[in-house]
Amino acid sequence: MISAVEAQILATSFKVALWAVAGVLPLAVACAFFLSRRFPGRLALDGLVHLPIILPPVLIGFLLLLLLGRRGPVGAWLEQVAGIHLAFTAAGAALATAVMIFPVFVRSIRLSFEAADRNLFEAAAMLRAGPLDRFVTIALPLAGPGILAGAVMAFATALGEFGAVITFAANIPGRTQTLPLAIYAVLQQPGGEAEAMRLAVLSIVLAMLGLAAAAILQRWAARRLAG
Amino acid sequence: MSALQANVMLRQGAFTLSARFAAPGDGITVLFGPSGSGKSTLLSVLAGLKRYDRGSIALGDRKLDDVAPHRRGVGLVFQDARLFPHLTARQNLAYAQCRAPRGALNLGDAAEFFDLSAILDRPVGHLSGGEKSRVALARALLSSPEFLLLDEPFAALDGVRRRSFIAVLLKMHRTWRLPMMVVTHNIDDAAALASHLVALKDGAVVASGEFRTATRSPAFTALLDSRDEGTALAASDLRSLQDANARSLWLRADQVLLASEPPGAISARNIFQGEIRAIEVESANSRLVELQTQAGTIVSRVTPEAVAELGLAVGRQAWALIKAHTL
Repeated sequence: MISAVEAQILATSFKVALWAVAGVLPLAVACAFFLSRRFPGRLALDGLVHLPIILPPVLIGFLLLLLLGRRGPVGAWLEQVAGIHLAFTAAGAALATAVMIFPVFVRSIRLSFEAADRNLFEAAAMLRAGPLDRFVTIALPLAGPGILAGAVMAFATALGEFGAVITFAANIPGRTQTLPLAIYAVLQQPGGEAEAMRLAVLSIVLAMLGLAAAAILQRWAARRLAG
Repeated sequence: MSALQANVMLRQGAFTLSARFAAPGDGITVLFGPSGSGKSTLLSVLAGLKRYDRGSIALGDRKLDDVAPHRRGVGLVFQDARLFPHLTARQNLAYAQCRAPRGALNLGDAAEFFDLSAILDRPVGHLSGGEKSRVALARALLSSPEFLLLDEPFAALDGVRRRSFIAVLLKMHRTWRLPMMVVTHNIDDAAALASHLVALKDGAVVASGEFRTATRSPAFTALLDSRDEGTALAASDLRSLQDANARSLWLRADQVLLASEPPGAISARNIFQGEIRAIEVESANSRLVELQTQAGTIVSRVTPEAVAELGLAVGRQAWALIKAHTL
């Protein structure tokens, strides 16, 4: 069975991943909606959203440190105004994870916005529904299952984030040590392979469960859009 | 109710729409034209879904030019019903009703009128084509538009279902005094519905006005297939009509027999006496004889031999015979 230490690692992983997904959800939905529409500057926004995929994760962590570390411009301000530390904390791990999962999350939500029939927005407009009304009553409900599937997928991805997290939040057992970070830590110790194997199996099982849940939700989404 | 007036110009690649017309606030205006003539584009422009380059649109004395589609008070029923797939039929209707101005229609009354009561709680994916069209119609009505545009809402229906849909449309118009503009390229549907006509060809209005008068213009006749050439007769002037609800009926030149004397014992149910106004040479072996009767102008296609044998000539009396089953 799972040991107390492993349970704590799992709890940290879940906490960090959940915060990351929940925190970034509104921004991801907004970005995805705008990217599914035509507007000037769309390509620029698209590029910006995809940056974390292209840059090395360690660099993302480093950039976060520069910006949000205690001596970084935003980090110093946050500490002064609200007493918030992000570097080397669980919240910081969640933030680094959020940045890393953002592109995947936005992409899957965007696909479900794009799959929704545009003509339905015209139909709603002809029934006196304004733009915000149409977004809330037509676009969001139709994309809902797709957004949920994207969130599950993003959660599964979040469980595996490594480079950015370890750079920005460090590898502190009980605070910022998530599954991949714990695997890395036990591998640094002589004779840690057996423990690493146990954690690896846990990781794989969780990833498979996440993928399966996302696939089921996506199928539901497609059925719903078909009407 | 409010009349819809438009004078708009729109360029779209090689296609130019240049339409000027007035649709009365108390009738059904049929927007007629071959496919590609710009009927649907014009409806989108009137609804505010498509921008135009120049011109203006007014509903009654209200200018619509800078008004967003959802604030125009104009309803639009699409060719595909465009029901919201995540809602039931009832929720689709409620969507329209709760956004309508105060004093709107009762949802239950509308459902009953369109014979939808039994299917209200079904998801729209489980409705038949005809049911979907009726839900779309009820939904448009429940949003209480001042003017309703319909883009061939019966295009997907055939035969009996099409006729009954047109009957519902006419009854809806009469019950709520809702002015409408209906797109169609079918002359029989047009005659059944129309009080007025706007005919489009290549993006330009070629005929418009009161339906039975406007359909007499040569520019309108030129839009028709030669087999469809004919005239509109008021349904009230005809006996033994199959479709009792139609406003008027399109009588094709090929459906009319001519007699030069009062016919005696004969099975034809509709016989109109009139004076021959014109005999047009259509081709080597066909003549179009135009008869002015009490019920209006009737055109009959006959052979040159018939013209000679019957002694048909401009100014002479003749009798037009119409077989009820062709109506």
